[in-house]
Amino acid sequence: MRVSVLQENLARGLATVARAVSPRSTLPVLANILVATEDGRLRLSATNLELGITCWVGAKVQDEGATTVPARTFVDLVNTLPPDTVEMELTTRTQTLNLRSGTFNNNIKCIDAQEFPPMPATEAEGAIELNLEDLREMISQVTFAASSDDARPVLTGVLIEIQGGSMTMAAADGFRLSVRKAELANGVDRSVKVIIPAKALSELARIAGDDEETIQMILPSDRSQAIFRGRDFELVSQLIDGTFPDYQGIIPTSHTNRTILPTASFLHACKAADIFARESAHSARLNITPGDGQSPGTVEVTATAAETGSNEITVDATIEGEPIEIAFNVRFLVDVLSVVDSSSVALETSGPASPGVIKPVGRDDFLHVVMPMHLGR
Amino acid sequence: MRQILHVDLDAFFCSVEELRNPDLRGKAFVVGGSPEGRGVVTSASYPARKFGIRSAMPVSRALRLHPDLIIVSSSHGDYSEYSSEVMAFLRGAVPAMQQMSIDEAFLDVSDDPRGGKPAASEMQAEIMERFRLPTSWGVATNKLVAKIATEVGKPNGLLVVPPGQEAAFLAPLPVSMIWGVGPKTSKRFAAYGIRTIADLARMSEARLSQLFGARGIDLASRAKGLDGRPVEELHDRRSVSAERTFPKDVDSIQELRRHLLHLSERVGTRVRKAGVAGSTVRVKLRWPDFSTFTRQVRLSQPTDQDGEIYAAALKLFIDNWRPGKAVRLLGIGLADLGPPMRQLELFDRSWEQDHKLLRAVDRIREKYGRRALRRAGSMRQRPLEDAE
Repeated sequence: MRVSVLQENLARGLATVARAVSPRSTLPVLANILVATEDGRLRLSATNLELGITCWVGAKVQDEGATTVPARTFVDLVNTLPPDTVEMELTTRTQTLNLRSGTFNNNIKCIDAQEFPPMPATEAEGAIELNLEDLREMISQVTFAASSDDARPVLTGVLIEIQGGSMTMAAADGFRLSVRKAELANGVDRSVKVIIPAKALSELARIAGDDEETIQMILPSDRSQAIFRGRDFELVSQLIDGTFPDYQGIIPTSHTNRTILPTASFLHACKAADIFARESAHSARLNITPGDGQSPGTVEVTATAAETGSNEITVDATIEGEPIEIAFNVRFLVDVLSVVDSSSVALETSGPASPGVIKPVGRDDFLHVVMPMHLGR
Repeated sequence: MRQILHVDLDAFFCSVEELRNPDLRGKAFVVGGSPEGRGVVTSASYPARKFGIRSAMPVSRALRLHPDLIIVSSSHGDYSEYSSEVMAFLRGAVPAMQQMSIDEAFLDVSDDPRGGKPAASEMQAEIMERFRLPTSWGVATNKLVAKIATEVGKPNGLLVVPPGQEAAFLAPLPVSMIWGVGPKTSKRFAAYGIRTIADLARMSEARLSQLFGARGIDLASRAKGLDGRPVEELHDRRSVSAERTFPKDVDSIQELRRHLLHLSERVGTRVRKAGVAGSTVRVKLRWPDFSTFTRQVRLSQPTDQDGEIYAAALKLFIDNWRPGKAVRLLGIGLADLGPPMRQLELFDRSWEQDHKLLRAVDRIREKYGRRALRRAGSMRQRPLEDAE
């Protein structure tokens, strides 16, 4: 293998795939990045067997070939090279990759590409076209609600349902639920129901370049995987086996109090409350008091820490229904308010032990359910 | 010198009922169970007390004392809400506070520049203004005397026992007002001619320890108005535990499970009474050769529920026990105690159901005794008795 590639392109490509590297695997080759020539470009791939990322960068290929390069050495090295052309040449017999740039001359010991897990080529047939901007927003509004606890694997994933031309993403960690809907530009006539690890979707949002408009999603019928393909990258994720809990059943259908708040002020109040709340499991009280005709309704956000002190932030609000005092993990509120992009949000509740529902005002494509905290007796 | 305050919410349950229904104000009524059943008086209003009606008295007897008595059922849960608001206010108002029960607390204001009496009087006024609840206060140099001062000054009282006057203040009071002197001990005291606290204080330590053992010495120092115990929040207590040494070593899993369940219940009941929850469960095991070890596990959320304590304890036990191995002592502890906060779950609402159930169980046991209600699983299996 003999190729030359711009340092800048190589560094960007390595940054894209590096997160899928598995440095502490029992399979040493998984700590490496596959480097291969392919159709006049350079292909970089990494996989931890659950998530695989491939990226293609422009290169001048003199001799075809492939090897796997230890990721840490490779990434650190390329990041210190001058912004110039990098010449790479593999000695197949010894699996030594020689890397030169200007006066820098390096030799890296590699592992034969044969040992790298095969990443089967995927037919683009049946691909579902997703608008990248929508997809990014969906991912940001949903993945944070997924669980990071492996005790219940399905909850570490995001449920993707496609039916009748629209797509829904849902994630829940047992305490909160995010549901986001979007219309698909190109109608899809089949229905789909898969659980994709939330981590894979976060990676997808990170690596998808800003210059792409659409992403293809492919669900091969012969294996339990989801493949997301952009112009110069491909992300392959294993699906999570299992049944996602019936989340529709826990979305409240009624409420006794509906409070509309300016998103930014509510978020600000929650962030301030968390300074004291973090000492007591992030619990903060919302004291929701309807207006009386002369004065507006208010939501008082209070947090108390035995050691540090306490605070109380009042936000004006439009309130329909009864006064309610309810406590939440204020971090959960910060999480959801940070991904809502409407200027005001509605919080619907029915009492201190009933779920709170947060919806952006003026949009009906997103909702978030958050369970309250029970304080004291 | 220490400045200790004791506060008691006057006829607390009745005061809350008066807030819910102002028509009750000034009337003779009790909060309690139904007279048809074996209901008892939980709390009696001051007008009702004039008829000799007291808490813990069967409602049927209270009705005989005053047939026009109004009986208010105590099924709703407002009391604990009012209580926790008042207690939270007190906790924020002083440097050290120890809640004793739903309606009673000690406060240490030794460092308060206002001094004991003004501090008490300001808090009394503020509780009346903010929560419309009457309180009685005792001010003294220790917990024992402060608590008795509250008793004496009730209702709506504020009684100060100046430093050096403790013994003189206690002297004329009946001996039953001392902590640790119940009806049984009072009777025994009466047999020796001890009626007032002064009578007790006059007894020699030698005589008291001869009659009552080590406890006698303790009672004598209390009678002199001495009490060095600090005001410390129960939350600071590191753990609550219960253990049992078996009269005969136990090796059957059924029996060990039953003991674990019973110990879990004891721990759960105690933390709930103290209004705390813990996030570390410990199991203590002692083998017949007296070697002892403990194992612990951290829960994802603090708990005050018997079932959750039991589940964690049983798993710890099974992981550390070989079937058939005899056990001499079994103990369960709950540590990392703090406020009983709980993040509720989306898909599993069983915690809330258990929470309500345990509160009801606690109330029943408070009224009718610990054995009034028992888990079937914690009972010993007995063969059915013969019909004859």
